[in-house]
Amino acid sequence: MRGLWALVLGICGLALTACATAPMTPEMIANNDPYEATNRETLKFNGKIDRYFVIPTVALYFVLVPEGGRRSVHRFLENLTLPTTFVNDMLQGEMKRGSQTVARFLVNSTIGFGGFLDPASKMKIPDHGEDFGQTLATWGVSEGPYLMLPFFGPSNPRDAFGLGADVALDPTNYIHYKQHLWWFAGQKYFTILDLRAQTYTTVQGIQRSSVDYYASLRSLYRQLRDNAIRNGRAAKSEELPDF
Amino acid sequence: MRFQPILRRTFLATLLSLSAALFAEPAFAASQAEDFVQQNIHKGLELLNNKQLSTDQRRTQFEGFLLGLTDMKRIADFTLGQYRRTASPQDLAAFEAAFQNYAVAVYQSYFAKYAGQSLKVTGSQQRSGDDFIVATQLIDPSDKSGQQPLEVDFRVRTDGGKPVVVDFSVAGIWLALEERDQFTAFLGQNNGNINTLIAHLSDLAKQFRSN
Repeated sequence: MRGLWALVLGICGLALTACATAPMTPEMIANNDPYEATNRETLKFNGKIDRYFVIPTVALYFVLVPEGGRRSVHRFLENLTLPTTFVNDMLQGEMKRGSQTVARFLVNSTIGFGGFLDPASKMKIPDHGEDFGQTLATWGVSEGPYLMLPFFGPSNPRDAFGLGADVALDPTNYIHYKQHLWWFAGQKYFTILDLRAQTYTTVQGIQRSSVDYYASLRSLYRQLRDNAIRNGRAAKSEELPDF
Repeated sequence: MRFQPILRRTFLATLLSLSAALFAEPAFAASQAEDFVQQNIHKGLELLNNKQLSTDQRRTQFEGFLLGLTDMKRIADFTLGQYRRTASPQDLAAFEAAFQNYAVAVYQSYFAKYAGQSLKVTGSQQRSGDDFIVATQLIDPSDKSGQQPLEVDFRVRTDGGKPVVVDFSVAGIWLALEERDQFTAFLGQNNGNINTLIAHLSDLAKQFRSN
């Protein structure tokens, strides 16, 4: 696992070094995207990976697993993220949301058969996600310049760091057993598969309606992250532009 | 007798404030913005749900509804960002027309996804005297999962005499803001040429209408 991370970080580092010499335009500065040229190239690279490797696997997944089964897999994977969500809830001082996370985990892991069913939602225990990137944001760490990471997609230095930190924060990663690595790899593989299956139609819609797909992704990512950091609470008036 | 000028002044001041209260246009209240959104979006969803209309009839009626509900010129100008300042009046007019054509095609496709659902206003926020954000939830009657409903916010401006929607957000994503980010990036990549953007928008609108 360390090897894979080193490879990913190495590619990111090389990509950023390569673009350090690219001239910056006023738009790049205004958009807080000084590595735009490299980011656009990385998006093309990610598009090829998606087209030739991810989408064919997703297609096979759609053929082999019916909708109900895919929904159960989604719930099961979501349930596995709850320990990390709980740690981040606590780090953000969100006690109420933390207790909801614990309640969801206990209910869905037991009467929800390990998370394949979602009785917690029926019991009106709301669902939410948290990650270390959001925790850093609530601690006042700014996002930094926009980054398009190879394989991982839209990000920024704060969220990229959070991505790695969440692996370290997941308490289940400290339970060691014989097949731990295979379990971890399988979980990540199915998470990517599930995420792409869930977002297939949405991404297709964005690609179809976009004037500039790269800029659209950048804007959507930033707005979605801001909304997640605010825990879905309404944006402050001054955060919205004047018309 | 010394009291007379004071009394006269007090009388005049009272008269002035009374006439101001009587003749001034009543301030648009947040609850009115909420009613405006509730009634109009309900109307729009009903239009999309109306099975008696042909596809063409639905498209035409929805276009009329959308143009009455929103201020397209204002949204179009906003989406040009800094390029609006340097655009010629001819380019600006052509862009506004192209944007309207594109937006109607795209918005109709967005709203069509929510046909069959109903809208519930959950509150509102007043940014200034004529700027409101109305929070709503889209309720899907067929959804038995217990998941939280989709949150949709509408930004309503009333400074033009009547209320109009200038932007809406789905799950925290403001559409006009996203369009501005796209268009300015596109113009940045194309030497600020608005005509290239107009041509691109027209192509996209055609694609949407042909599907």
